[in-house]
Amino acid sequence: MDGPLFKQALLGSLNWLATNHEEVNRLNVFPVPDGDTGTNMLLTLQSAVEDIKESNAAEVSKIAKLASHGSLMGARGNSGVILSQIFRGFARAVEGKSSLTPRELAVAFEEAANAAYRAVNKPTEGTILTVAREAGRSAAAAAGDDDATVPSVIAAAAAGARAAVLKTPSQLQILRDAGVVDAGGFGLQIILEGMLKTFEEAESFHVDATAARPKAAQVALDLPEGGWGYCTEFLIDGAGLDIDVIRNDIEALGNSVLVVGEPELVKVHVHTDDPTRVITLAGRFGKILKLNVGDMSTQHKRILDSESAAGRPPRPNGVGLVAVVAGSGLVEIFRGLGVDAIVEGGQTMNPSTQDMLTAVDAVPYDEVVLLPNNGNVILAASQVPSLTKRKVHVIETHSVPQGVAAVVAFRPERSGADNVAAMKAEAARIQTIEVTHAVRDTRSNGLKVKKGDVIGLINDKLEFAGADYAEVVNKALGKLGPDAYELVTVYRGQGASDDEMANLESAIRSNFPGLEVEVQQGGLQHYPFILSVE
Amino acid sequence: MTSKRRFAVVTDSTADLPDEWRTRYGIEVVPLKVIFGNETFRDRVDISDDEFFRRLAAATKLPTTSAPSPGEFADVYRRLAQDHDGCISIHLGAQLSATAEAARIGAESVEGFRVAVVDSETVTMPIAFLCRVAAECETVEAATAAVAARVSKCRVLALLDTMIGTMLDLKPLLLVADREIKPVSRVRTRSRAASAMVDYFRGELPVEHVAVMHAQAPDEAEEMAANLRKELPGQEIVVGKIGCVLGTHTGPKALGVVYIKK
Repeated sequence: MDGPLFKQALLGSLNWLATNHEEVNRLNVFPVPDGDTGTNMLLTLQSAVEDIKESNAAEVSKIAKLASHGSLMGARGNSGVILSQIFRGFARAVEGKSSLTPRELAVAFEEAANAAYRAVNKPTEGTILTVAREAGRSAAAAAGDDDATVPSVIAAAAAGARAAVLKTPSQLQILRDAGVVDAGGFGLQIILEGMLKTFEEAESFHVDATAARPKAAQVALDLPEGGWGYCTEFLIDGAGLDIDVIRNDIEALGNSVLVVGEPELVKVHVHTDDPTRVITLAGRFGKILKLNVGDMSTQHKRILDSESAAGRPPRPNGVGLVAVVAGSGLVEIFRGLGVDAIVEGGQTMNPSTQDMLTAVDAVPYDEVVLLPNNGNVILAASQVPSLTKRKVHVIETHSVPQGVAAVVAFRPERSGADNVAAMKAEAARIQTIEVTHAVRDTRSNGLKVKKGDVIGLINDKLEFAGADYAEVVNKALGKLGPDAYELVTVYRGQGASDDEMANLESAIRSNFPGLEVEVQQGGLQHYPFILSVE
Repeated sequence: MTSKRRFAVVTDSTADLPDEWRTRYGIEVVPLKVIFGNETFRDRVDISDDEFFRRLAAATKLPTTSAPSPGEFADVYRRLAQDHDGCISIHLGAQLSATAEAARIGAESVEGFRVAVVDSETVTMPIAFLCRVAAECETVEAATAAVAARVSKCRVLALLDTMIGTMLDLKPLLLVADREIKPVSRVRTRSRAASAMVDYFRGELPVEHVAVMHAQAPDEAEEMAANLRKELPGQEIVVGKIGCVLGTHTGPKALGVVYIKK
């Protein structure tokens, strides 16, 4: 397998994952609105393929290196970061090679899995890691055959992946409870199958129209009026394309819609909150070409933020602050506390390593503290220090309340190291209660949850389900033991009405008279309430 | 007034001088003014601290404050000139108020009476401590020297209940020192703030003259004083109230640890 063939294979992977990522998203085991695994992997793979599209390199090593770099920069979410490590391991294994024998390809698959294992502190079986390893083993076994070919090795890898994916529920309790297979592992299976398809079909395949149709059951990400989004551009290559029909469909998913062209080739431009949905939809009409997705909101906001940072006097300690935050109220709160640059994102929209890197490099300080503020963002954030000349401290804040506590503890006259120690200590003192609605029926942590139920999580762990917000918050505060705490800060999200807010506040005050209650407008989507207890 | 001293000690109402020190140490207090709308009150003369905070809570518009006029100071000095041969007049930090400047101008208009006007560079009870130091001296020269040696060592560590200008309810801990107000830290709960104050105070030892000041938070102030007594067994720790003028700027629930460093 040489450079052009590997490039073709990766484009095949991208195409196949774009078609099937919704299936991956549906495997979300946790009933909370979450950064979707399929979307994260697709965006990561898109970034991996970005530079390759323009490359005519003959050597497989050069293509692999571009994929490794691109995926690292675009890595989103935990699965995306692990995928980037898989590309990295692959690239290392094929270094200096212009083309691969079937045996060398199998070795590269195995090395890719090893690299992924090394990247994770505590590898868990039954995840994408297991799937990568099993794919590598199957590939190695197939490469031992006398008549092994590159397609036969890839086919074996894909089959090994599929078998491993089916076994994941037997390895992980949470998958078993939810009755699903591992999403990240399934994503990897699709990527390998996509590669295989390029060999099975003489030319780039057409998207299967039925598989591409998004199902309404999936969580809808409502785009706020004038909200942030992705500038998404691509061409649709097909026959008898109806521009008006396409425009109508795309308009439902975003704004600034531009659909122009001819029945054989249509150019689409749209600002949307969910680019993958647009792509999936467009895939029904024909083949997607020249796809380009730009995160314009973070770029736009980032400029605003560095401008406001430029207006401030420089900090005596020379340490900058970058935080990952979503929700207009929370953005204002973090700004008010002195954060220099804000990367828009969080639970439902995991920012990429590149997004965070750009923000870190944009602040006028050589030393930067980076606050991911979400468990799903931490791994992508932890890649940033190795990608910049700046000294970056990632404080592993798992929630917005932890992030607020860390920023409050920041002192501009104190050294970076002292600040990091103090910020970590403050973040660790905070208990976080998140209140949202279950997005699916599930069993988790011994709780039976029905779609739509109010659910309460304490420090990312699902603890309570109930009929209304006040009931769930009461239980959660009761479990924490209110005597040990003084202050509850309630960050109100978009989904909470004035009445619900008032009810919750009075319920806390009457049930826990010893607690001070403060209400802030957070503006988060999907989370009616997030509570900080300290 | 047991000493044989022949000079007068004057301060202003922002010293938050305990009432009984006036008579015990013979200290004259000139009131600043607090203005609600078109009503003007002389601090602790026309309005008590408790009454002030009641009005503050009900006020739709924040009150303003003003320094005594040079003429008011001149009247006081003229009266004191009758039975004293000199005066030391110690006032609210000039970086914060025109009071010391008004005292200086007022003093110049009283001929034949020597007034040493001191800019304390600080607020509240450290000024009262400086007055007590002065009152215990035998001559105005000795008093001036003793006070001058301590001015740069006065510290006010203040916890305000809210910080204006941030969305989040933060409790800033501020330090008044070196003619500046510097942030020490910011915390989100009062108990954490209180322990941060004790921690900071511990780093400032050794100190002389310690007080805990409060605006409508007597229980917390007593608790803080008890904590400080554990740090400094045997040390006198005064608990005092923040008056109207300072209270206008701190708001209710402010808590202060004030001291003079050794």
